[in-house]
Amino acid sequence: MIRFLLKRLALTIPTFLALMFITFVMIRLVPGDPVEARRGERGISPERHAELLHEMGLDQPIWKQFLDYAGGILQGDFGTSIVSKTPVLHEFLTLFPATLELTLCAMLFASLLGIPAGVLAAARRGGIYDQTLMGVALTGYSMPIFWWGLILILVMSNTLGLTPVSGRVDLIKYYYQPVTGFALIDSLLSGQKGAFGDALHHLILPSIVLGTVPLAVIARMTRSAMLEVLEEDYVRTARAKGLSARRVIGLHALRNALIPVITSIGLQVGTLLAGAVLTETIFSWPGVGKWLIESIGRRDYPALQGGIMLIAACVIIVNLGVDLLYGLINPRIRHGK
Amino acid sequence: MASEALSVQVKPPGPFRAFWSAFSENRGAVLGLVVVVFVVVVALLAPLLAPHDPVEQFKGATRLPPFWKEGADPRFWLGTDAVGRDMLSRLMYGARVSLFIGLSVMLVSMVVGVAMGLAAAWFGGLVDVIIIRVMDLIMAIPSLVLAILIIAVIGPSLTNTIIAVTIVYLPRYVRLVRASALAELSRDYVTAAKVAGVGPFRLMTVTVLPNCLAPLIVQAALGVSDAILEAAGLGFLGLGAQPPMPEWGAMLADTRDLMLSHPWVMAFPGLCILVTVMAINLMGDGLRDALDPRLRKS
Repeated sequence: MIRFLLKRLALTIPTFLALMFITFVMIRLVPGDPVEARRGERGISPERHAELLHEMGLDQPIWKQFLDYAGGILQGDFGTSIVSKTPVLHEFLTLFPATLELTLCAMLFASLLGIPAGVLAAARRGGIYDQTLMGVALTGYSMPIFWWGLILILVMSNTLGLTPVSGRVDLIKYYYQPVTGFALIDSLLSGQKGAFGDALHHLILPSIVLGTVPLAVIARMTRSAMLEVLEEDYVRTARAKGLSARRVIGLHALRNALIPVITSIGLQVGTLLAGAVLTETIFSWPGVGKWLIESIGRRDYPALQGGIMLIAACVIIVNLGVDLLYGLINPRIRHGK
Repeated sequence: MASEALSVQVKPPGPFRAFWSAFSENRGAVLGLVVVVFVVVVALLAPLLAPHDPVEQFKGATRLPPFWKEGADPRFWLGTDAVGRDMLSRLMYGARVSLFIGLSVMLVSMVVGVAMGLAAAWFGGLVDVIIIRVMDLIMAIPSLVLAILIIAVIGPSLTNTIIAVTIVYLPRYVRLVRASALAELSRDYVTAAKVAGVGPFRLMTVTVLPNCLAPLIVQAALGVSDAILEAAGLGFLGLGAQPPMPEWGAMLADTRDLMLSHPWVMAFPGLCILVTVMAINLMGDGLRDALDPRLRKS
């Protein structure tokens, strides 16, 4: 197991290096230097221009710039945002809990609904329920989620008045210190009456929107994994022993069917962390996705460079974790090539 | 009687007939195909079908409702948007834009992907390692984030959307072609062709490639719908096709303020994306079942 772990860890090092290289090179490819991009309508004198370039270290040879950049990252320095003048890492860490909270809730929603739905569909293969579910899953899978979000806001918030339109908390009614950065936990810690309910309320629609595609994927995946397992001999044996269908499906078959499903759930957490960009934009959710888009609008290239680096790093780490977990559950992966 | 029936020679169905009979068994797939054909026809004939110019702004005719609502103008069947452009015409031209994006992304990433995949499989060694490592790296960065990074560098436009989404989807084709080509290369018929003196280029393209086609076609079909969705997402974020181009995603971008009072302005473009993507996915599933029984999802 240790060997497997080390091997997987070693494989991520070149990925990180290449990632650093790519973000570095791509940002340098932007036409015009960052000073030019920020000088505004009136322009600045050539002396001041050179001074600013020197300040940012942009007058150094390119290889030196890369070494400085890479060295900085290794020490946790991801650059400083041009707009807010705060370190990118600090900004990222302030916003990241919001994205993580949303992602986890979306995944919870998708798994809690998707797995039972898939199991039921497999158990009644070819029936009306199965066909309806597969139709719904196809719709969810094909859904442009930014549009789905707008439709849900229109129906649930504006017409029915069930959920808030945007944001994480009702600032007029509640204020609490960000202790953990997770609204659900902070609202509980604050001890204010109704604050937790309010935070939960704000999470419902964004979670549904972000969870829709994974829900469809999980339901389809659970169904096909379940169908495969149900064909196996040990399931027939369990049936022949006279166990109830509920017990065979819910206990014997489900346990094995879940292995691929859990892997795909894990791998989707990574994609969701990044896919939150659209959802956060629709719901004005103060997370890293929205921040990234705003950084593009503000031409804040250090923030963009550091932010993408950090998001990709999170995804790589999550995927690595899933890989390791999978190796733990399934010895064939660990020992195989 | 029985002997007579037996003596009738039945010709084996040709490859296309065999494919069609398997494909048409799947009613969903046929439905998908019908919708796709419809969208393609509308896109091709948009200049003839559309009642108005998609970017023409009719002053005094802004935010008109569709025909079934009160206050509708018979000139504008599906109403007009915030600046008085005809919704129906924009949707029709939007089909052109979306299909163009989907098809060009699919074509370019498939051609480049096939070339790289075949090269990786044939040369092996360092070439293989480099290609696969680069593809792994592309896959490690989440697709939308990578697309945003690329757009941030090269600037938002329709062409750049296509470039960004193509790069994002390249690894799928490379890995698929490489894997199937490697499997085929160990077969006897390839050895026979080598012995017969077939050169490497001809060997890879004429001998090996046709045997890798089935999964590739399926991937290509599904790739079109993914590309359309991804490009629409970029358009929605303002990073794709730029106004006044009638791109479905971009048409949704500025509808938030109108959503309450004029919900149809938001409803139609999204519905078009959903229906088109769903139809292509249905068709893709049907293709998979018909072409590649191994991939069939029971």
